Amino acid sequence: MSAETSKNMKEAGEVARLLSYLVLLGGSIALLVESTLIPKSRFEILGAGAFPILIYACLILLLSASSIASIRKLPKGALPDFFKGIGQWAVDRRLVFSVFACLGLYLTAMSFIGFRVSTFFFLLVLQIILGPKTRPALIISVINAVVFSFGLEYLFSTVFNVFLPRGM
Amino acid sequence: MDAFLIGAAEVLSVKTLIFMFIGSIAGIIAAAIPGFTVTMAIVLTLPLTFTMQPLQGISVMLSVYVGGYTGGLISAALLGIPGTPSSVATTFDAFPMARKGEPGRALSLGVWASFFGTIISTIVLIFAAPPLAIFAVKLGPWEYFSLIVFALTIVASLVGNSLQRGLVAALIGLAISTVGTDPILGRARLHFNLEVLEAGLPFLVVLIGIFAISQLASEVEDANETSSGHAIIDRKIEFHTWTVMREVLMRPVNLVRSSIVGVVIGALPGAGGSIANLLAYDQAKRASKTPEKFGTGIADGVVASEAGNSATAGGGLIPMIALGIPGSAVDAILMASLMVHGISIGPRLILDHADLVYGMFVAMAVSSLMMLMICIVSMRAFLHVSEVPKWVIVPAVLVCCVVGAFALNNRITDLYLLGVVGLVGYSLRALDYPLAPLVLGVILGPIAETNLRRALMTDQDMTLFLTRPVSAIFLVAAVASVLWAVRAHLKSKPSQTPPKDTPS
Repeated sequence: MSAETSKNMKEAGEVARLLSYLVLLGGSIALLVESTLIPKSRFEILGAGAFPILIYACLILLLSASSIASIRKLPKGALPDFFKGIGQWAVDRRLVFSVFACLGLYLTAMSFIGFRVSTFFFLLVLQIILGPKTRPALIISVINAVVFSFGLEYLFSTVFNVFLPRGM
Repeated sequence: MDAFLIGAAEVLSVKTLIFMFIGSIAGIIAAAIPGFTVTMAIVLTLPLTFTMQPLQGISVMLSVYVGGYTGGLISAALLGIPGTPSSVATTFDAFPMARKGEPGRALSLGVWASFFGTIISTIVLIFAAPPLAIFAVKLGPWEYFSLIVFALTIVASLVGNSLQRGLVAALIGLAISTVGTDPILGRARLHFNLEVLEAGLPFLVVLIGIFAISQLASEVEDANETSSGHAIIDRKIEFHTWTVMREVLMRPVNLVRSSIVGVVIGALPGAGGSIANLLAYDQAKRASKTPEKFGTGIADGVVASEAGNSATAGGGLIPMIALGIPGSAVDAILMASLMVHGISIGPRLILDHADLVYGMFVAMAVSSLMMLMICIVSMRAFLHVSEVPKWVIVPAVLVCCVVGAFALNNRITDLYLLGVVGLVGYSLRALDYPLAPLVLGVILGPIAETNLRRALMTDQDMTLFLTRPVSAIFLVAAVASVLWAVRAHLKSKPSQTPPKDTPS
């Protein structure tokens, strides 16, 4: 990796972290305001809202300091470069996005079609996406999907008396 | 003595031993797969222990724990990839030794060093935990609050590349713990009228999401590597088991020193096997007459690193049993497993449930013996585990995570929460936020809040936190810990700056 690429990656990482500080800062301010609305108790000095206020106040201070330090560290033009490189980053991480997309669909579908069917299709689809596109890989994927969907449900219901969702 | 015998009888029952045997194998296999940590193995074991007796459940988890610390050695020695973060230093000498044609000796050295490391840490645990617990019973809410402040500063300063992000992660963990009902009056707060948040965020769902889901997602970042598998370097492996045992015992100073380093590091909240592994290796190198040979495949390096990381298992249990404070994320899960069974963790644990605590001591010793036997008999078979490709393992373990999260409360909403927490965990991991402080923040948050409010309900004088000697010592230690971390952070900064004219 060239020094230039490494430098660009470092800058992109710093911009991403700066954005995360700002998002967390916004969230902390909103939750601090929400915490101040928690009714106080006549039985104790602090009340239910005091600890959250303390935590969010500390978070706001720390995130403000981190944001300022991060802004000072970044050179001019780092932000436009970051947005330019975001497409390539997303392409590089396509499998991670696939995993989360499949997981989201799987968890949503489970309450409708039950654990067995949803897990079978989740495993099959995800293994096909992640694995090599060959016949042996497909056979392994099917076996794995059957074992971890039908087999796992059988194990939990008979051995551990835990009944996984059956769907509507 | 009665309590010891009751605990020992339960651990040594046939049913428990069978479960522990399976647990040891599962721990070794899980940790042998690169990228899969001991923490993840323990998290996945947890739902399986819900239907067991408390001691039986925790014995199984301890067997996974002890097995897991050894399993990381397999891929570290044979592939040069640490199976777990706690095997990083193991690769320094075990891998070169394997490369030089002695993979069996490297594995045997690691297994024996792990065994002796665990036994030494268990002996220290047996002698250190009870007196510390008796002392801890005398502490008030002021001391407890200060202790947790100290624990949190250690967590943030020892984990990760950035002190700021370590502290932010710990505070996010504390913030998560404030959602739901408050621990003193039970008043609802910060739930935004969402049913899933009303009872608070379930600790174990957060744990599985933060550690396991994010780790699994990060495993598939490299598209080319994901669809391929790894090959073991040499099929002709000779273990020389008994010769190697003598070889390990001929290094008593290195073995004991590394184990003590592991115990001490394990006992510090937040510092775990990964730090002990590196520190024990570093200490062995400094004390050696031939430090230049370290890194070329010498036995001292393997013994130090493996004894160091395995000894953290016993060390981490000291603050958990004595003070009710988890020494690491794994200890936090062990603590949670007892809480699931309605057993409150704290200094009274050893007084109220002595049989359980003594049973844990016995379980530690039995686990290490079991690990040793399994490794000696079936090490060759375990080597195949390192060959399982990620595209098979990742989806299957994801399903195990989903089942684990559901089995806790039988609530489908917990699964949605798992998905969201997993996504947040992956984002934080990708942004280089350390995750261990976050999880410890979640578990320490309610203890900190309860003791802070209890202290001020008892006496409104805030200066008591500073005027009570033990509380003051903890607060001074917390300040010192932060200052030390800031100093270490500033010192490491110049060395992190890349040289300007690096050739491409």
